[in-house]
Amino acid sequence: MTITAPKHPKRLAACAALALTSATVAAHAAPQEELEARLDALAAQVVELRAQLADLQADRARTAAPPQSAVVSNAGFEAVEAEVKVAWSGYGELNYSRPEDDGSATTADLARFVLGAAYRFDDSTRLVSELEIEHAVSSAEDPGEVEIEQAYIERRFNDRLFGSIGLFLMPVGLLNENHEPTRYYGVFRNLVETAIIPTTWREGGFELQGNTDGGVRWNVGVSTGFNLSKWDATSAESLEEPLGSIHQELALASAGDLATFAAVNYTGIPGLRVGAAVFTGDAGQEQPGFEDNRVTLWEGHARWNPGNWDLSALYSRVRIANTGPVNLTLVGHPALIPEESFGWYVEAAYRLPLHDQKTIAPFARYEVLNTASRVASIGAGLTPDPLDETEALTAGINFEIARGVVLKFDYLQFLHDDRSDRFDLGVGYQF
Amino acid sequence: MSRFDSSPLWPAISIVATVVAPTSVAVAATYLTVEQAQKALFPAADSFAVIHVTLTAEQTRTIVDASGPQAPHGELRGWAAKRGDTIIGHVFVDDVVGREDFITYAVGIGADGKLLPVEILAYRESHGGEIRDKRWLSQFAGRSDPAQLRMRADIKNIAGATLSSEHVTAGVRRILALWTTTLRPLAGGN
Repeated sequence: MTITAPKHPKRLAACAALALTSATVAAHAAPQEELEARLDALAAQVVELRAQLADLQADRARTAAPPQSAVVSNAGFEAVEAEVKVAWSGYGELNYSRPEDDGSATTADLARFVLGAAYRFDDSTRLVSELEIEHAVSSAEDPGEVEIEQAYIERRFNDRLFGSIGLFLMPVGLLNENHEPTRYYGVFRNLVETAIIPTTWREGGFELQGNTDGGVRWNVGVSTGFNLSKWDATSAESLEEPLGSIHQELALASAGDLATFAAVNYTGIPGLRVGAAVFTGDAGQEQPGFEDNRVTLWEGHARWNPGNWDLSALYSRVRIANTGPVNLTLVGHPALIPEESFGWYVEAAYRLPLHDQKTIAPFARYEVLNTASRVASIGAGLTPDPLDETEALTAGINFEIARGVVLKFDYLQFLHDDRSDRFDLGVGYQF
Repeated sequence: MSRFDSSPLWPAISIVATVVAPTSVAVAATYLTVEQAQKALFPAADSFAVIHVTLTAEQTRTIVDASGPQAPHGELRGWAAKRGDTIIGHVFVDDVVGREDFITYAVGIGADGKLLPVEILAYRESHGGEIRDKRWLSQFAGRSDPAQLRMRADIKNIAGATLSSEHVTAGVRRILALWTTTLRPLAGGN
């Protein structure tokens, strides 16, 4: 309801008084009946004016009264605008990492600084965007990168069905869509959801997402995919994150071949989440020398929160098809393309609530992964051996000092591996 | 020629698109209205009277202490559910920010001070939509003390919808603290 208060009630009264004075002056020159008629008319006008004045005063009193539907007015609770047009968000993480056997490799890094803005065009249409700076400074001489992590239009068809178009996160694994530092244990993201699932993994395309009252969320979509012609065989680092080294992130992405994906998650039992996802698309991108190089990634995951416990497990496998002919052209280089890679982990954390919403959470995680568990045969003497499995144990503490701010400490030990074990310290935030 | 049509997932996507897309066009944004939520919470009520509460500074402090940190809220509205002249409970409708946008939810408190299952009236963003799970919302039912609404210990977290579940839980805690501080005597409860 809109109520307009009278701006000048005194002026109305003054007009009425002026009208009466004019009538008195005119009375001397007019015949009796005419005067009576005029007086009757004036009396009627006065009654009408008084009624109008009373209405206006009543309106003003109603406007001044507190809104009837507001239970809690301004007594301590600030209500924000009912319609959020622009919503700002952000997260960041800083870390210090010291390998036990190699002090020269110690680093301190502002690893991520992200600002996000969501804009609501109307009740059903939003823009979601995130701009990220990695490693603090981005220039020709510095290691940093500036990236758009997400930029998509989301359309709500109804309360249960949403569509997205643009650059969005793949609905894969436990971390990819929930990668903010307050949401995972340890200073760094787990190895499996870094080396096997290339978190933060995003593609450009369309997506449909639905939720049911029974607790099922599903996603299906068509998107850009990987580009095998980006593989750098000269660097052994390519083998550390095979998909991470051929992802495109919608940066003038080769899109001759599109990919499809589907995911389903069940959260119908409070505290439990189980889900699986599959992504498949040809990474040849119709480039010369690449034929039927389908990349297929699938994973299954579960997370369970009995009481203060937070238990997670995930398994993921990746296959790149028809790598033999490509590898033949790369023989002699240190990093040939693997045909298969896989990884899994189990993790347990106990979130001990302290006073004042603080939480301290000791955790431990055991991971097994191999980024090149199988290499396609290209003939004796030419086919490289598969890599050995990496087995790693991480233990540490997440200390949430306020909602959205976390201090972290962990120790990562590689089991039967010559890589250096390390201590990590970190701070992360999300708002 | 694009080879994307040879994807093994394509048939599944076609089926979903064929079945779901036309439905989505036909169905407008349907929510539980405030009136529907009131009736769902207190079907025995024959009227719902708007209530207005002005808090003293001390009451505000008590409520703030009992409810803990809050995400941004919109305007909180409330009604007394009546059967004849008897107040049989209260209904509150609140907006709280989920991840980035408002979730509109309704809370019913019986005359005995016990919460009913929370009702979601509107959810506006795709992520965190798991908040609408009936079984999650039922966790609130029967609780009568804000101290029984601790995240994780009492109300289970939704992995993947952490912010939405935390913010709604904190909002319910605030409403229950408000009711306990100001409206309990009116409801004739103990």
